[in-house]
Amino acid sequence: MKKDSLPYVLGFMLAISAFFGTGVSLVHHSTKDMLARNEQMHRNRTIAHAFDLPVVGRDADAFAAAVEEHVRESRLPTDQRNWTVFERTTEAVETSETDRGDIGFIFQGQGVWDLIRGVIVLSPDLEVIRNLRFLEHGETPGLGGRIEEDWFLEQFQGVRVAWDRPRDSRLIIGTALDPDAANRVDAITGATGTSQALMEMLNTDLHNFRQAFQDNQHTLETER
Amino acid sequence: MAETSKSIFEKGIWAENPVYRQVLGICSALAVTNMLTNTLLMCAGVIFTTAMSNLTVSILRNYIPTRIRMMVQVLIIASFVMMVDIMIRAAAPDIHRFIGPYVGLIITNCIIMGRAEAFASQNRPWPSLLDGLATGLGYSFVLIAIALVREPLGFGTILGYSLPAKDLWWQSWTIMIMPPGAFFTLGLLTWWARAKTDPSVKE
Repeated sequence: MKKDSLPYVLGFMLAISAFFGTGVSLVHHSTKDMLARNEQMHRNRTIAHAFDLPVVGRDADAFAAAVEEHVRESRLPTDQRNWTVFERTTEAVETSETDRGDIGFIFQGQGVWDLIRGVIVLSPDLEVIRNLRFLEHGETPGLGGRIEEDWFLEQFQGVRVAWDRPRDSRLIIGTALDPDAANRVDAITGATGTSQALMEMLNTDLHNFRQAFQDNQHTLETER
Repeated sequence: MAETSKSIFEKGIWAENPVYRQVLGICSALAVTNMLTNTLLMCAGVIFTTAMSNLTVSILRNYIPTRIRMMVQVLIIASFVMMVDIMIRAAAPDIHRFIGPYVGLIITNCIIMGRAEAFASQNRPWPSLLDGLATGLGYSFVLIAIALVREPLGFGTILGYSLPAKDLWWQSWTIMIMPPGAFFTLGLLTWWARAKTDPSVKE
């Protein structure tokens, strides 16, 4: 059969695609468990950093133990989303019927290139942001990817959510009329798209989460 | 006349180095060289991909239809890159989070496609494998050299280990962590290498 004939070309492409597809699948299958373990460790570490938990050691077990001991995870299903909610558990919170610990949830939204997911931790009254950490993103390294850098994340600590403002400006990332506003942080130079996308997703999720949280507070309390 | 193993390595690593002679693979050379650990993993990925794709293209060279050879080469390269990506994600997830996007971009690295098309598609498997290794090593040589300048100057560390009594005498150069630091270092290295390898520069 001639090398440039249509049946040969089609047959060759099919055979080589099947061969290499199988090869990649085999590599993926053989590392599946390791990938799942890594994913779990990254999740626990992100939650531990977001809640500033005391962690003894740096391995997967240390982060898992810290999260298990200090954070209670629950689900808050709504029409829009099945929220993953975290609550910091301390001795005072455990013994009190009214006190709550810091509340965190997983926020998510579309970044410039891919989905951005992260954990945001707020004070029990949802007024002040305690911390923010990312679980995953696909932003441009060196530009939007800088959202993971400490200087950017540390800005969020202590920022007040301006619940009295319109929904899209309760948290501002970038310029504002008042540069010292308590609900503002600096954007990333050269990554306006990522900064805007992050601001939109945080404002949207903060609004939706607060609504879901207030509507279902009774349900969450009975779970405690 | 067939090239000897020695001349293949000499060309790939020195005389026809892909980075400072052919100015290929610059994107990752600038991006992953601020930490030596990241650089080493990236280099391992590129060496593996270049060597294996060269070997595979060479083995199949008499069977690949001419009209679709580029498509087949991309498929082969992409498959090896995906394998490398999965392996790094499994073995070094923290480093993968940083260099992951660049590992994916190995697929479009001109060095690999260039060697597959220019060398492997016209030579027997053994020289092609050596050519892939040599080209990958040439790329790695430049990246490691840049990383060895950037990491100590930018972070005051080598392979993550602090320089002795760093806090007493060392002030980190933030610019070396950022892309301009890579540009300056690569420019100086290219200047030095051209002066050493190109006789016309001396005149």
